[in-house]
Amino acid sequence: MDADINKATSFITRLLSNPAMKNLAPLLKEEQIMQFLTVNARQLFSTLSSPAFFPEMNWEQIVKTLTVALYHEINGQLLSGIENLVKYNLDFSFVQFLRQQNMPQERVKEDFFKFISVLLNKHEIRRDMIGPYNAIHYKISDRYVDQIFARRQYIHFELTKVQRLKMSKEEIKHFVGASLLLKPAIHVLKVDDGSVLRNGSGGSVQKPFIEKVSTILFEKLKVLPEQVIRSALFANGSFLENGSMDATSRLASTLSAMCKNYRPNMTIDRGADSADKSWINVARRNYKFYGYDVKLLDEFYAIAAENGW
Amino acid sequence: MSIRMRSILESVVVVAILLVLVQTFLEDFAVLSDWIWSSRRILVITGFAFDLFFTVEFLSRMYASVYSGKGSQYFIRNRGWIDFAASIPLLLLSSGPAFIALVTGGSAAFALGGILNVLKVVKAIRIARILRLLRVLKIFKQIKYTDSVMAQRHVAKITTMTITLLVVLIFVISGASGYIGIPEIDGIYSDRNIRAASEIAVKLDSGEFPVTEIVASQKSGEDVLLIKHSGTTFYSKYDNTFYDKNFGSGDFQYVSVNGYDFFFDIKVILKLQAKDNIVYFAIVVVFVFFLLVYYSPHFALTVTDPIHVMRKGLEDESYNLEVRVPDRYKDDDVYRLADAYNRIFLPMKDRHKGPDEAQSSLLKLDDVKDLLDGE
Repeated sequence: MDADINKATSFITRLLSNPAMKNLAPLLKEEQIMQFLTVNARQLFSTLSSPAFFPEMNWEQIVKTLTVALYHEINGQLLSGIENLVKYNLDFSFVQFLRQQNMPQERVKEDFFKFISVLLNKHEIRRDMIGPYNAIHYKISDRYVDQIFARRQYIHFELTKVQRLKMSKEEIKHFVGASLLLKPAIHVLKVDDGSVLRNGSGGSVQKPFIEKVSTILFEKLKVLPEQVIRSALFANGSFLENGSMDATSRLASTLSAMCKNYRPNMTIDRGADSADKSWINVARRNYKFYGYDVKLLDEFYAIAAENGW
Repeated sequence: MSIRMRSILESVVVVAILLVLVQTFLEDFAVLSDWIWSSRRILVITGFAFDLFFTVEFLSRMYASVYSGKGSQYFIRNRGWIDFAASIPLLLLSSGPAFIALVTGGSAAFALGGILNVLKVVKAIRIARILRLLRVLKIFKQIKYTDSVMAQRHVAKITTMTITLLVVLIFVISGASGYIGIPEIDGIYSDRNIRAASEIAVKLDSGEFPVTEIVASQKSGEDVLLIKHSGTTFYSKYDNTFYDKNFGSGDFQYVSVNGYDFFFDIKVILKLQAKDNIVYFAIVVVFVFFLLVYYSPHFALTVTDPIHVMRKGLEDESYNLEVRVPDRYKDDDVYRLADAYNRIFLPMKDRHKGPDEAQSSLLKLDDVKDLLDGE
């Protein structure tokens, strides 16, 4: 078994060292390798089932072995990355505003990180974590929140007047950050076919399902107020189905999707629009399909256009 | 021939083209600025060497193309005709005669002068020199100013058309001006010198006045350098050292009347011609520069760049950048297509991909080929 893992690790290490993977975030590397295995299954199987690799395994077993090695390799970077995000990028002082009780920051951070670490054993959660990780790691959520507060238009109104978040801009940034990291937790619960309950092909999760997962999470993650957990989980839903969705949920939903394929230092072809503008414009046209808040997207587009993002 | 060798030779050709453009300019500039003959002599020799080099280059390319059955493709489509026009005619009509005159000390020119007229030879050389401007196209051909093959072809086409038309027009007008009644300065000078030579010869035969007075009384007396009769020098404007230093073959017109040999200074005409050549050269360079710096990016911006973005979007599953549609060009066919690509195709592609669908992998099988093959 160890020999198999060693072979798998060596294969995975080789893929990870490919120059094309150099600037990608850990989870995006993982996603690329998983996709590589899926796309090239037939050709890879003929080689990987040879005596030199895994002669007694079928393709599913090979993928499983490779996945174990891959998770092991990625977790080294990923968990320390997320730990850094939680410890140094997020400040949970906003929790006091929501709960009106004093909870030690360190404990909140510790429990939150532990919870996220456990979640990351699930493939669906790892895949859904790419966007949130990128959004916080590359401070994309922060720069949009900064602009939202500078403009004080629709989204600012939704945050401060509708959701009634009486907190500073920095605290709202952390609230959105926590919502982002917790968003993939929707996968803690599965229906019979092994997936979450979605609305059609757009991918938004049905409201009753979110409510159910919320109840589970309230119990599992007591350090966070219900408002944060709901904000995170409802970010998986559709704004069209749930018109009362919190602004922080809508922000987390949009930022998570936008940052899923974020490439730092991406070269923009001459004649092409910027990555943010392009994504937002496509999202504006597909807002019904994905259940986005189109007004929020309009403001995001204006922000991206004004700032050349 | 190995790729490396070919690349070295191509680089040598590019360097030669750049140098010949400098040489072409300097040759005229030297005349205009009264450079001493020893310096101009070097430029005449280098001009000949370059023409010889480009003739060999053209013949080699032509031979290789004909040998591989692509002769007409090279000559017509790959603009081998530019290589031809900028090499063989120049060698035969411009630098070749100039070089021969140089090595024979001008005797060939004198011999020709007896039959034709030195200025007619100079004129032929001058007209042929216009073809040198086509070399700008040769260098243009070598520059990879954009990644797009389409942009390269279109800009090359318009540049070739513009410059060739310009050169042909100058060439035809210069060559045909005498026939269509446009007075030419070299013709006027030549006639005036011949008239002056005849008048001076008559006066010298009469023996009435000293030769210096006779020369000074002529309208073109300023241009008379030397008068000889039966090998004896009657009149010389400067001493031999001055002639050696400042005059070379082609700098004077030789006229023979009644046994008198007259040498007229024609540097004024040569300077006018050099000035014209520099103006033509500047016009061609400015045209090419304009086409490269303004038109080529404009073509790329409004045609090939949006097409490139759309092609990537169609071919690469994970590519989702929109085409930027400038407001001023939004009614162009390309941008109307780009607008449809942005409005219809990209959102459709995004919906088709769905929220959980993985992107196409950046990794390719070839990246691990050695790993897989090695096992």
